[in-house]
Amino acid sequence: MFVTDIRKEFYDVVINQVRVVFLSSKDDKCLDVLLTALFHCDQVQYTLVPVTGWQDLGTAFLEHKEQFRYFVLLNCGANVDLLEMLQPDDDSIFFICDTHRPVDVVNVYNDSQIKLLIKQDDDLGVPSYDDIFRDEDEEADDSGNESDGGSEPAGKRKRYDEGAVERRIERQRAKREWEARRREILFDYEQYEYHGTSASLVIFELAWVLTKDNKDMLWWAVIGLTDQWVHDKITHMKYVTDIATMQRHVSRHNHRNEDEDNSLSIDCMRISFEYDLRLTLYQHWSLFESICNSTYTSCNFKLWSLNGQKKLQEFLADMGLPLKQVRQKFHSMDMVIKENLREVIEESSNKYGMKDIRIQTFGVHFGFKNRFLASDVVHAAAALLESTEKDESASDNFIKALDCLSSNIKKSNLERLHLGIDLAKKKLIAIQQTVASCICTNLILSQGPFLYCYLMEGTPDVRLFSKPMALTLLCKYLLKAFVSSTRNKRCKLLPLVMAAPLDVEKGTVIVLGIPPDSDTSDKKNFFGRAFEKAAESTSSRSLHDHFDTSIIELKMEDRTKFLDALITLLS
Amino acid sequence: MDPTEVEFLAEKEIVKIIPNFSLDKIYLIGGDLGPFNPGLPVQVPVWLALNLKQRQKCRILPPQWMDVDKLEEVREMERKEDSFTPPPSPYYMELTKLLLNHASDNIPKADEIRTLVKDIWDTRIAKLRLSADSFISQQEAHAKLDNLTLMEINTTRSFLLGSLNCMFKLRSNMQPGTSTGKGPDY
Repeated sequence: MFVTDIRKEFYDVVINQVRVVFLSSKDDKCLDVLLTALFHCDQVQYTLVPVTGWQDLGTAFLEHKEQFRYFVLLNCGANVDLLEMLQPDDDSIFFICDTHRPVDVVNVYNDSQIKLLIKQDDDLGVPSYDDIFRDEDEEADDSGNESDGGSEPAGKRKRYDEGAVERRIERQRAKREWEARRREILFDYEQYEYHGTSASLVIFELAWVLTKDNKDMLWWAVIGLTDQWVHDKITHMKYVTDIATMQRHVSRHNHRNEDEDNSLSIDCMRISFEYDLRLTLYQHWSLFESICNSTYTSCNFKLWSLNGQKKLQEFLADMGLPLKQVRQKFHSMDMVIKENLREVIEESSNKYGMKDIRIQTFGVHFGFKNRFLASDVVHAAAALLESTEKDESASDNFIKALDCLSSNIKKSNLERLHLGIDLAKKKLIAIQQTVASCICTNLILSQGPFLYCYLMEGTPDVRLFSKPMALTLLCKYLLKAFVSSTRNKRCKLLPLVMAAPLDVEKGTVIVLGIPPDSDTSDKKNFFGRAFEKAAESTSSRSLHDHFDTSIIELKMEDRTKFLDALITLLS
Repeated sequence: MDPTEVEFLAEKEIVKIIPNFSLDKIYLIGGDLGPFNPGLPVQVPVWLALNLKQRQKCRILPPQWMDVDKLEEVREMERKEDSFTPPPSPYYMELTKLLLNHASDNIPKADEIRTLVKDIWDTRIAKLRLSADSFISQQEAHAKLDNLTLMEINTTRSFLLGSLNCMFKLRSNMQPGTSTGKGPDY
C-alpha cells in the first residue's frame, strides 16, 4: 500500500518503536546514511543489515524475525511478492523504500503489512484492482447455485438445470476471459524493469517536512541522484528534472547562512551548483587521463584506434593546451589554463561533435583543500563497495563505503574517500582497456535479436568484473563504444548481453543484459523476465539472486544452451 | 591531569541556546534546566548544548566574550603587559575549541576568532615560559602568578614539577654532606 503521509505513517510510527531493523541492499548507500542520520537525531535504536541478494534477505529476515516487528527495506523488495517470499508473521510490518519498478501488485494492494514509501506521481502504471484480483463472492455464488439446483425435485430440476448449466458455462467463459486478460495485463506491467525516483530524494523530503534537513543530508540526496545517473538507471530528462528540485533546496540552504557581515567559517560545507564537464574524476586526476577514460569522450573520439588518438591530440592542440600541462595532475596545472577551462573545452568539443560535454551537477567544498563533485564521490563509493582486494568481506566493504560518504562530517574519513577515488581510477582504466581490446578483437557478436560478448578468463582485471556494478558499467561503455564504431545500422539498435566469469572454482559466470543504447531510450530492461524464461525452458542451473532481475549467475556448462534458448525466445 | 579532563571540567560552563523543541523543566543533580520553548533562549551547560546541537535540536549563541572586537582588545592588552591579564573566560581555550568544532555555523567570523584566540594563547604561554625560566635561573623559593587558566597551568605542570625534582636530586647528590648554600628547598 502506498504511504500518503510519510511523516505520520512512517516516521512517527517508527520512532516510537524500541528497535527497528534496516535491511539494505548495497546499491544506494546514500539512502542508508541519510536514514540513519535522521534516526540518530531522535536517538532511535536501529540495526543495519546489508544484504546482497534475495537469499541473503531471507536469511537476515529469519534471523531477526523473533526480535523485531518493524522492518525497513532499503532499495530492495518492491518488485517481488514479499509476503510469499518471506512468509512473515501477521504482525510484522514492512516499510519499503525502493527504486526498482515495477512494484509487485501484491505489494501495492496489501493494506496491512506492506507500506511503500514511494511517490505516487512517479508514473507507475499500476493496473487497477478489479483487473487483477477477483473477489471470493463470485465463487460462492457458483457453488450455491449448483447445490440449489441439486436439491430441487426432479421435474423442476430439469428446467433449472438448463438455466443453471447455461449460466455456469457463461460464468466459466467470462472467468477464462478475465484470466486471459489478467495474464496479459500482468505481463505488460511486469515485462520491463526500470528505476524510479531516487529513494534518497524521498527520504530527504521526509527530513525536510520534519525540518531536520541540513546540508549533509542534502549532499547525500544529491549523491544518491547522481549515482542513478552515473550508472545509467534513469533517463536524462528525469535527471534534469530532479536536479532542478535539488537546486531549489540548495539555494534555500545557501541563503540561510550567508550574509555579508557574518560570513561562514571556511570549514563549513558549502554545496554549489556547477555546470561542469562530463569528464570523470578530472579534478583528482590529470586532464589527459580523464579524457581517455571517460565514456563520453572516449566513445566520441574512438580512442581505441590510432585515428582516435590523433584526433585527441588535434583536440588538445585546438584548445591550445600544451601536452605537458594536460598530463600533469589537475591541481598542478597553471591557473591561467584552469580559469577558462570549461568554456574552452565546450567550444572545442562542439567542433568535434560532442554537444553535451557539460552536465548540471553539484559540487561540495569544505576547508581549503577539499573540493569534490557529486560524481567523484559516487565513483569512489562504488569502487570501495566492490573492491576485490583479498581478505575483505562484503560487510567490511559496505562499512568502508558508508564511511567514505560521511567524510564531510568526520574529517578522518577523508582518507577513505581518497582511497575510493584511487580505486575508482584503477577501475576506470581497467574498463577502458577491456573495452578497447573487445572492440579491436571483435569480441562482440551479433546473435540476431541481441549482441553478445563473453569475457575470457585470462583477460586482465577480469576479477573486477565479477561484481555486478562494475560489470554494468563495462557493459554500458562497451555498448556505446560498439555503437559508435560499427557501420551496421541494424546493430546499433540491439541490446547487449554480457557474460563474465564469476567464480572459477565453482564454474559460474555472471550474465547481465542491458537495453539498447539510444538518446531517447527510457532505460526499460526486459531481460529480467527473458532470463527467467530461458533458464526455465532449458533447466539450466541458474541463480536469480540479485535485486536487479537482469543480472543472474549461471553454470559455465549451461551457458550455450541458455543462450540458444534466449535467442529463440527473443526472436 | 589530562587535557581531556580539563575539557570535561570546562563543559560545565553555561552557554545560551535557542531550542527548536519544547520540554518542561528538568531536574538534574547539578541543578534545574529549562523549561525549553522553541525560539526562546535558555541557559544550559555546554555539554547539553553540544549534544542538542549534534541532534539538530538547537542553535548555539556565542558567549559574550567570543566577539572579534573584544578579543582584539584582549590580545592587545596581553601583548602590552608583562604580567598576565584576566582571560576572557576561565576556560576560553576549551570553549573555543568545542564551540568552533561543533557549532561553527552559528558563530559569526569563526575563522578570525580562532586566530585571535590562538594569538592570545601563544602570548600567554610565552609569558609562562619566560616566568618559569626566570624562576629557575634566579633560584627563587616561591612565585605567584595571577590570572592563569587551568589549561595553561596544566601544560606546564608535569614538566615543571618533574624537572624541579630532577634538579633537586642532582643538586643534593653533587656533594654529599657539604652545604654550600646551593640547594634551595622546593
